[in-house]
Amino acid sequence: MMDPLAAISRIAGSGLQTQSKRLQIISENLANAESTGSTPGADPFRRKTISFKSEMDRLVGAELVGIRNVGTDRSPFRIEHDPGHPAADENGNVKKPNVNMLMEMADLREANRSYEANLQIVKKARSMVNATIDLLRN
Amino acid sequence: MEAIHLFSLASRRSEWLSVRQATIAENVANVDTPDYRAKDVQPFREVMDHTRLQMAATSPSHLERDGRARQTRTDKADSWTITHSGNSVSIEQELMKSSSAAREHSLSTSIVKSFHRMLMTTVKG
Repeated sequence: MMDPLAAISRIAGSGLQTQSKRLQIISENLANAESTGSTPGADPFRRKTISFKSEMDRLVGAELVGIRNVGTDRSPFRIEHDPGHPAADENGNVKKPNVNMLMEMADLREANRSYEANLQIVKKARSMVNATIDLLRN
Repeated sequence: MEAIHLFSLASRRSEWLSVRQATIAENVANVDTPDYRAKDVQPFREVMDHTRLQMAATSPSHLERDGRARQTRTDKADSWTITHSGNSVSIEQELMKSSSAAREHSLSTSIVKSFHRMLMTTVKG
């Protein structure tokens, strides 16, 4: 069992790490929003998803947050008619990634908000440590 | 010497506040974890009442450490929000709890500081 104030940086650190991993997945999705296949009828980029789980850390004595898995979204692709595209099938249809820009941006905001909340907790814990150390200064 | 109790009380209070802050940090870290229920610690008054009736233990691992606050799960009424994934952590609520813990900690350390100054004045004359 760690000292609670020392444990806070580990706990908030696990939150920061998983939220930044989530931001990474979102940026991958956004970057590949138009990535199609290269051969006729090939599947384009499939949207990635991330899910979290809480795990008990015996050393810290608290529930840290971790990544359960990084999966793919099984929803159908967008179909666009574009006969001149290299990935167009015999009917002239191109499969576009199942990435919804609006949803990714909303997710981005939420991840950012959670990240900042973790940072605030670190700041508050630091002010508590400073107040304790200040007892020695007189 | 009534006065000396103040230091032990203040250190108990500071310990309780840091356990509470760690619990809040846990909640904030798990703000997007499905099925996670927000936690809080026992109120300080309960911790004080509880520790007066400590049982003897043959091993330190049998019972919780003296003065250690126990964590409790919050029920639906306490939490401001519950998301569809079954998570009951509200960032706003947790940040307000975190600020109040930091404020109370600063109060308790300030009291210790001024009390220490008073003691030093007595000693130095």
